[in-house]
Amino acid sequence: MSDVLLRVRDLRVHFFTDEGIVKAVDGVDLDIERGKTLCLVGESGCGKSVACRSFLNIVQPPGRIVSGEMLFYGGADREPVDLAKLDAKGRQIRQIRGKEISMIFQEPMTSLSPMYTVGNQIMENILLHTGTSKEDAREKAIDLLGQVGIPKPDRLIDEYPFRLSGGMRQRAMIAMALSCHPNLLVADEPTTALDVTTQAQILDLMLELQHNYGMALLFITHDLGVVAEIADDVAVMYLGKIVERATARVIFNEPQHPYTRSLLRSIPKIAMKREELDPIKGMVPSPFRRPEGCTFHPRCPNVMDVCRHVVPSVTQLDDTHTVQCLLYEPEPVEQARS
Amino acid sequence: MANQLLATQEQTDLTMRQDDYLLEVNNLKMYFPITQGLFARVKGFTKAVDDVSFFIRDGETLGLVGESGCGKTTAGRCIARAYDPTDGQVLYRNGDGKVVDLASLNSREIQPYHREVRMIFQDPYSSLNPRMTVFDNISEALKVHKMATPKEMEERVEYLLKRVGLRPEYIRRYPHAFSGGERQRIGIARALVTNPHLIIADEAVSALDVSIRAQILNLMEELQEEFSLTYLFISHDLSVIRHICDRVVVMYVGKVVETSSGLDPYINPMHPYTEALMSSVPVSNPDAREAGARIRLEGQVADPSSPPSGCYFHPRCRYVRERCNHEEPALRDMGNDHFVACHFAEELSLEGVRMV
Repeated sequence: MSDVLLRVRDLRVHFFTDEGIVKAVDGVDLDIERGKTLCLVGESGCGKSVACRSFLNIVQPPGRIVSGEMLFYGGADREPVDLAKLDAKGRQIRQIRGKEISMIFQEPMTSLSPMYTVGNQIMENILLHTGTSKEDAREKAIDLLGQVGIPKPDRLIDEYPFRLSGGMRQRAMIAMALSCHPNLLVADEPTTALDVTTQAQILDLMLELQHNYGMALLFITHDLGVVAEIADDVAVMYLGKIVERATARVIFNEPQHPYTRSLLRSIPKIAMKREELDPIKGMVPSPFRRPEGCTFHPRCPNVMDVCRHVVPSVTQLDDTHTVQCLLYEPEPVEQARS
Repeated sequence: MANQLLATQEQTDLTMRQDDYLLEVNNLKMYFPITQGLFARVKGFTKAVDDVSFFIRDGETLGLVGESGCGKTTAGRCIARAYDPTDGQVLYRNGDGKVVDLASLNSREIQPYHREVRMIFQDPYSSLNPRMTVFDNISEALKVHKMATPKEMEERVEYLLKRVGLRPEYIRRYPHAFSGGERQRIGIARALVTNPHLIIADEAVSALDVSIRAQILNLMEELQEEFSLTYLFISHDLSVIRHICDRVVVMYVGKVVETSSGLDPYINPMHPYTEALMSSVPVSNPDAREAGARIRLEGQVADPSSPPSGCYFHPRCRYVRERCNHEEPALRDMGNDHFVACHFAEELSLEGVRMV
């Protein structure tokens, strides 16, 4: 029996704009296990970030969680709480945000407030959730900054974010996110804006802290190298749906969905002889002009007639491997033929 | 007009080390003054590029790699003469086989070379003028250099649009109507419009999605063959450089630390910084995860306005010794065209990227 921390079922997040409805997340099923690392990959605009924001219930209008459930087994009694049902501004979700589930964002400059010192921002979270004294909170903040590898944390705590480099800011963000020992850390492209050497430092740090705190990590990225480095499980997203989900080994060695395969073929690999890249043709379609049937069919190398009008459902290939593709569904294909 | 200008130059005695070089950069320096106070008193210099030398052969792709702030972009811009270098030579072989020093030309004399050396920029959103149509954006250089009649211009732009994979019907549209990948294609067409020889691609694919990045990389390779282009490819993405480049130059804090023929620095690095850089690239193979401990660089890139003493890399180097503290290493020839700026390059045995 797997130890599920967050069980997402049929999550739908839609944006109601003047031009029409954008189905950013369109029926996502996802299990995040306690203490494991799940990577969510896909091209820009496929709904990765929106999905993660909805776990914290911080989707901005005109976006709204339309339906679905997100059962969070976080508390001490492990009683499930349905995050989707909570009032986004209510007391209950605010006790979960920053304490049980915290988030790291891509742009470390824009996600730290320029008006407060680093220490102030970390202490705010501690004071809000634990009710310790200010002195204790300050000590805790210094300790955290030291843990994330910031030199001279007792001096740096009174600095403003603009004085820090990108890597240091990202470390401060991590310290803030970890300040209340969350069960789940959601990291939205935390290393994309960093240099490779800094990225390697931050990835190491996150894995080490995950090991120490035993938290689950949901890591959003489009860099498949990073995925190979840190993921236990991988979920591949395309236009609001999880098209394939499996362990990292299976995703890289035996990918089944044509989108996953194409994605892997389109990256230049540092450790391989030079060969022509095989990019996915075309690009992610506009959210207002979503293709009929399987949304990937206009770009799919294995497209069949039936893909143009039948929406694939989830096929369970084995215990840990699911795929959403008609190639693995014999029935609709035969029905369409007859 | 252009020919007249060339004729008046007194740079007849310039030569390059080898005949197949298109560009040779010698001891290039670009110092930016740091000023202070009401009268902008100069209190120091940021040595963005400090005594950099390398060359590019005709028709090859040279990769310039390094972390942010190492001066790779500044070096590229000095070659394109977007900056006026503080010191050094940028030798360029023009169509007639004559060698000119681009760094010493004044703003009038440089004009004909602005059409031979062109740039592609990183951010396809800010590098196109949003108030100009695709046609105006691409043809601007033709107009500036008075290279074509309006009819020829239209034909050329249409041809190039088709060639970079866009429909010529889009010629009157504005950049906002295009996606990032399409804009980058427009940027490439704009660079190609003057029939250049050398293209400086500054992080040209870094802002693009994986699948679009692969499309653009393939396109650039096709165009290189078709228009016999030479590329200087500036990037921090080592996998991309590995894919597209024939040779690499590794920079650290304004200096070249390693360069070689072929892609030796990947497989057989001789500078500790190159080794660490290669080791920090994530390998897209989960089975390689346990294969070996990575080298983690401690600390941050040194500040180019107050670099450390001796070898700039010594505070982060895992092989550091006494000598590195006070003596600056020169770029030395290790044989086989492999140049390394490290005192102990012979003694160290460093590990490169493991090939799968």
